[in-house]
Amino acid sequence: MSSSSINLAPIILGIESSCDETAAAVVRGGEEILASVVLSQFATHQPFGGVVPELASREHLRALVPVVRRALEEAGQNYASLDAIAVTQGPGLAGALLVGVSFAKALAYAEDKPLIAVNHLEGHIHAVLLEQKQQARAAGNTTALRFPLLALVVSGGHTHLYLAHAADEAGSGGWTYQNVGHTRDDAAGEAFDKVAKLLGLGYPGGPLIDGLAAHGDDRAVKFAFAQLKHPDRNPQGARKYAAAVSSSPASQPGARTTMPPRVDFSYSGIKTAVLRHVETHAMLASIEARRKALAGIAKVTVSEVLPLCDAHTLDLIASFQRAMVEDLVRKTLTAAEACGAKMLFVTGGVAANSALRGHFNAKATALGLPVHFPSRPLSTDNAAMIAAAAYPKFLANLFAPADFSAEASLALR
Amino acid sequence: MLTSVQEFLTQSAEESIALGERMAAQFTPPKLILLRGDLGAGKTTLTKGIALGFDAAEADEVTSPTFTLVHEYRGPQVTIYHLDLYRIDTERELATLGLEEMCADNAIVLIEWGEKFPRLLRECDAEIIIERTGEDSRKFVLRAR
Repeated sequence: MSSSSINLAPIILGIESSCDETAAAVVRGGEEILASVVLSQFATHQPFGGVVPELASREHLRALVPVVRRALEEAGQNYASLDAIAVTQGPGLAGALLVGVSFAKALAYAEDKPLIAVNHLEGHIHAVLLEQKQQARAAGNTTALRFPLLALVVSGGHTHLYLAHAADEAGSGGWTYQNVGHTRDDAAGEAFDKVAKLLGLGYPGGPLIDGLAAHGDDRAVKFAFAQLKHPDRNPQGARKYAAAVSSSPASQPGARTTMPPRVDFSYSGIKTAVLRHVETHAMLASIEARRKALAGIAKVTVSEVLPLCDAHTLDLIASFQRAMVEDLVRKTLTAAEACGAKMLFVTGGVAANSALRGHFNAKATALGLPVHFPSRPLSTDNAAMIAAAAYPKFLANLFAPADFSAEASLALR
Repeated sequence: MLTSVQEFLTQSAEESIALGERMAAQFTPPKLILLRGDLGAGKTTLTKGIALGFDAAEADEVTSPTFTLVHEYRGPQVTIYHLDLYRIDTERELATLGLEEMCADNAIVLIEWGEKFPRLLRECDAEIIIERTGEDSRKFVLRAR
C-alpha cells in the first residue's frame, strides 16, 4: 500500500473486554489509530469524569456502549462507515468476554458487517506490528518483517512465548503461532505486583518497582532461579504436547516438523524468596509503616513512595527486578536461538518496564536479533491491538462464523 | 460446620502435587473448596495435583489465576474452576465473577483467598489450610463437612 492509499484502507472497529479494561478503537489499514478508548478502574484520566467503580465482568455491559460511541466519535466514523468489526474471543474472563462478543455479533448482524474474532494474545503481538508499520511509513520504507518471529507476551496474566509464522514475508496474510514456552505458575507481572504489595509499595506495583529500582543496588541480594527442564516431567504430558504439535496444520510455510524446544518460566519462587528475605531481615515494621502512609492513595507515584523506602528496601527492589529481567531475557533469547527466530517482539504490560527494554535491547542486539516493543500506551490492554490483529484476517477473508462464542481458555495457534 | 479433619505432610512440590491427586479421589462434585495459606504456601501447586487427579489438566497447564481471576480446566467428567480472590475486595465484585453459574453438578470450585468473604466461609464444602513448615515442606489440613 502506498502512502497515498492509506486514506482508502479498510477501517476496523476493535472491541476488547477480556479482563479489567473495557476498550474500543478504530484503526485504518491495520496501522493508523483513528481513536483508542480504554476505560479502566485505575485510569488516571477518566474520560467520563468521576470515579468509575470496579469494571470486571458484568460491569463491561454498562461501559461498552459509551466506550464504542466515544471511539467512533473521536475517529469521525459511524457504524455504517466501518468495513469490519473485530472482537476479543479469548482468553479471559468468560462473562467479560461474552459482553464484548455478544455486542460485536449483534452490531455486525444489524449493520451487515463482517465480524473477525481475535485472540487477545495475538492482539498484543500485533500492537508491536502496528507501530512498526507506522514508523516504517514515516521513514518512507515498508515494514521489514522476518519470520519465524518470536514473541514474548509478558503481563500480569501471561508469560508466554509464541513462534509466529506468516503466509508471506509482508505478514499480510493470516499468521499462525506455536507456543514454545510459558510460565508454570505465576506470570512475571503477577510477581512484580505481589512483591510490590508485600513490600507495602502500593498500586500499580510494576511501574513503582521500575521507578524505585534505579535507586538501589541491584547486586545486593542474590536470587536463584531453579533451572527448569523440559520436555515435561510427566511423560503423558509430553506425549499430549507432541500430539498437539503434530496435529497442527503442517502445510503452513516454514512450519517445523519437529517438536519445538520448550523454554518455560517460573516466578512463584522469587515471590516467596522476597517474603523470606523480609521476614528474616526484620523489615516487617517498616513495611507496615509504609503501607499506612500510602493508604488511601489510589495511584501511588514513585516520588511519593521513594522517601518512605530505606536503602535496604531499595536494594531488595533493585535486586528483585534485576533477577526478573535477567531471567526473562536469558530464557527468551535461549528460545529464540533454539527456534531459529529472525526477529523478536516483546509485548504486554511488563514490556513497559524500562530495565527489561534496556536489557533486551543490549542482549538481542549483541546477537544480531532485531527486537521491538510497543509504546507504553499500547503495552497494556487496549482495543487498537485487536483491530490491528484483525487486519491481516480481513485481507485473507478469515471471518468468524455467526455461531462463534467467547472462549475463556482460548489457545493461540 | 466442618467436622472431618485430616492432616498431611509433604516434603516437596512434587509430593504436594501427588497429595492433590489423592485428595481429588475423595472429592465428589459439586464441591466448593477454599484453599487457605500465605503467599507462596502452595495453593496453586495443590491445584495442579487436584486437576491432574480429575484428568482435567496437566500439572504444567495449571497456573496462578491472580490476574485472570478464574481458570477453567475441563476433564472428561469434572470441570475444575480455580479462582483467586486476591484482587477482589467487595461482594459486588465477587458477584460479577458468576460463582453461582460455576457451581454446577459436575464442578469442583477451588477458591484462593476466599476466606475474605464470610459468605464463602459459611457455604464452602471444605477448606484446605496450607502451612509452610520448611523451605519445601508443607502441612495440609483438610477440613470437610
